[in-house]
Amino acid sequence: MSNSLIRVHNLKKSFGGVKAVDIDDLNFESKELTSIIGPNGAGKTTLFDLISGFQDEDNGEIFYKDKNITKSQPYKIARLGMVRTFQLTKVFDRMTVLENLMFAGSNISNDSLLQSIMQLSKQKKYEDSLKEEAIKVMTDLNIEQMSSSYARELSGGQKKLLELGRSIIKKPDVLLLDEPLAGVNPKLAEDLLEIIQNLSNQGITILMVEHNIEAVMKISERVVVLAEGALIADGPPQEVRENQKVIEAYLGTGDE
Amino acid sequence: MKLSIKWVVTLLITIFSIYLVFAFNDEGPLRILFNLLTFAGIYGLAAIGLNVHFGLTGLLNFGHASFMGVGAYVTLLLIPHAAGREGEITESGFPFLLALLIGVISASLFGLLLGLPAIRLRGDYLAIVTIAAAEIFRLLVRDLESITGGVYGIINFSDSLQKYRPLFLENFVSKYELNPSQVWVGLLSWISILFVLLILRRLSNSPWGRALRAVREDEDAVRALGKNAVWLKLQSFMLGAGIAGLAGVFLAFNYGSLQTTTFVPLLTFYVWAIMILGGVGSLTGPIFGSIIFWVIISETDKLASLIFENANGQQLAGVRFVLVGLLIMVLMIFRPSGLLGKKEELLLNVK
Amino acid sequence: MIDQLGNGLLLGIIISVASVALSLLYGVTRIVNFAHGEIIALGAIITLFLSGPIDSKVLFLERFSPLGKSFVFSAIIAVILCGVFGGLLELLLFRPLRKAEVGNIAVLVVTIGLSIFIRHLYLLFATGRVQNFPLDLERRETYLFFEMTPRNFKVLIAGLVVMITIGLFLTFTRIGKAMRAVRDSGELASVSGINSDNIILFTWISSSMLAGLAGIFQAIINDVRYNMGFLILLLIFAGTVLGGIGTSFGAMVGGLLIGIFVQVSVALPFMEGHTEAKNAVALAIMILILLFRPQGIFGQKERIS
Repeated sequence: MSNSLIRVHNLKKSFGGVKAVDIDDLNFESKELTSIIGPNGAGKTTLFDLISGFQDEDNGEIFYKDKNITKSQPYKIARLGMVRTFQLTKVFDRMTVLENLMFAGSNISNDSLLQSIMQLSKQKKYEDSLKEEAIKVMTDLNIEQMSSSYARELSGGQKKLLELGRSIIKKPDVLLLDEPLAGVNPKLAEDLLEIIQNLSNQGITILMVEHNIEAVMKISERVVVLAEGALIADGPPQEVRENQKVIEAYLGTGDE
Repeated sequence: MKLSIKWVVTLLITIFSIYLVFAFNDEGPLRILFNLLTFAGIYGLAAIGLNVHFGLTGLLNFGHASFMGVGAYVTLLLIPHAAGREGEITESGFPFLLALLIGVISASLFGLLLGLPAIRLRGDYLAIVTIAAAEIFRLLVRDLESITGGVYGIINFSDSLQKYRPLFLENFVSKYELNPSQVWVGLLSWISILFVLLILRRLSNSPWGRALRAVREDEDAVRALGKNAVWLKLQSFMLGAGIAGLAGVFLAFNYGSLQTTTFVPLLTFYVWAIMILGGVGSLTGPIFGSIIFWVIISETDKLASLIFENANGQQLAGVRFVLVGLLIMVLMIFRPSGLLGKKEELLLNVK
Repeated sequence: MIDQLGNGLLLGIIISVASVALSLLYGVTRIVNFAHGEIIALGAIITLFLSGPIDSKVLFLERFSPLGKSFVFSAIIAVILCGVFGGLLELLLFRPLRKAEVGNIAVLVVTIGLSIFIRHLYLLFATGRVQNFPLDLERRETYLFFEMTPRNFKVLIAGLVVMITIGLFLTFTRIGKAMRAVRDSGELASVSGINSDNIILFTWISSSMLAGLAGIFQAIINDVRYNMGFLILLLIFAGTVLGGIGTSFGAMVGGLLIGIFVQVSVALPFMEGHTEAKNAVALAIMILILLFRPQGIFGQKERIS
């Protein structure tokens, strides 16, 4: 039996004495669509930050594709195929939608300073095919009409789509989606959900932090529940939904 | 190049200011014009370098004068010169072009040296660190008298450049009673501007330029997409530093002597004012910015000496800086896009 | 080295008071005010203007010499006027900018422009000459280990008293607590009924008064120059960074330490003959701190990158 794609072991992180994450063991398998839920402040985004390298853990180890990425920098982790989105969308405001996507899709050597000065035909060809890919992604996400608009002109939902598109164009192995449906109208949420489902069907491993329980129940193969930084449930959606501890955590303490 | 309103306005203002210069000066107009052009060539080039830092990448560099200084000092020390109190003469040296190349690369390397620790810092801290570094540079230069000539400066280096002055220039200059050295330096700086702008134009529409703009927008997202934001910023920092180094060399040759009072914060502020005036992020903005800036400060010099009759030279120079400060403030508040900057790319809301 | 320690304490007390002022302002408004140096200088310049002949060929100010105000009285008025100045800056400049949601970077550049503007106005109206308060010369006496003039010693004590007062103020008074609340979490503070506009105004006024006081201290210990604020601005930044950004206590301690380091470094062997570079020592310390321990001695880990 091969090791899980992502393995988290003994992970601890506190902020000023308050435990944000305290997990003994948590593994994610390849091609799985897992949702991570829990009341506010449960440590979900922190977990994402720790896995994707945006925050340093106080303790513990994280393995991805059997590599120890505990101390790795975020950009290196992303290059290994793990791409994340953010709770508050981080689109590049003063660049067009097309530029946003082309930036994301462009590989490192294409971005090089020297190449950009020389502008050999090789680069031109690469850019052309990159543009086609970008157009394809935009079309799939239904935002191709916004191609030459500045990203900051997009509506909240469109920004979410753009951020998703930027992740997709990189052909990731793993997607960490941080509240992809937050603040999005129901119709768009449905579309987004469908897109996420498609991505999962294409074989991309997906970890999704979400508050929209209905959505979670609809497409997840597995649900992980965090409360106050710790794991309190882990299993198929139905099972978790009926888990007493989970219900308590949500109806919970009232102290936020 | 679309002929949009801001271009028309800019050109009009530029032409008008140049006209003003001629109108208020009975000193040979051509001579004034070349004063202006040489100044604009040098400071414009420096501002172009700063624009790479701030306009393209969003880096708050307030130590620009030190990059210019590194370029100047390294180049000058490698060619025949005289330095220090005794006027100690160094007779041999590298060929000018080689020295220049090394000087510019040194400025870039200084950018790397400063950038390595500093580039990760948030905006306001980067500003403080760059100012501190520039100050350390200034103090070092002043104290390492044996190398840099300390407060006595470096002199007698001009020949290395002036000996390449072409004949057509000599003829032109003598016809109009201009200063040949100055015209030569001015010409070279404008050729450099042309060259640099061509490269930068390519770069801003290139994948590299796009990457830099993304870094300016949101570094975290850049990292999440697998790109090394720090390295990208460092590259931009080095590029702008190298351009500044080149401008510094021209500045030194324009003065004819190099003093420790040349590469000081005031110089940095000049360049900032010019960049903002011309339009942050605009490639050609610094050119127009420097022309108009020159007009503003030279005309106010005259105005100031009229109004403040009892003020001494230092105070009159002060008036100039009162204006510089005012200009920076007013522009940042009311017209941060300057003359040619793009309104959509304003930094107003960047926290 | 011991003499330098005394000088270091004096320099340190100036930087301390100025650092606390800057730190308070930054904590509440998140603005790094590059014009801070000019407010410091303002305290000294107004005091000079009120208490002694000011050498200025421009505006014929020397006609107003001296207004005959006692030195202490002039100093008090100067501090108050600095507070007024700070208040006006907030009301006329920074509040409108804040309401217009102008970004921090733009505001920072504005403060730099402001500092250039004000500083050269000083040059114009107060000349570039070094001037002194009309105080008698004194001989140095020994206090504990240090030798300094009695007046400077009083300044030192006054500075310490001021800092203790500030510390008590911030900890125990309602306004002080409100200031800390706005500093620690601006939005939450306004939700809990604290009017952050008023707090910010109050901070500008008090920070400017402190800055003016620091300037007066500096002028007593050294002299009055148009760029006196600019000269120590970097040292103030260094003090604030060393002590810890966002903590007033840190600023106090950091300021004192920087002053001491700067002066004491003069006695170090490698500084032989390079005494003007002593400031570079402080700046190097600052850069190192930002690299390796950005929160300084007492600060909390704020995201500075």
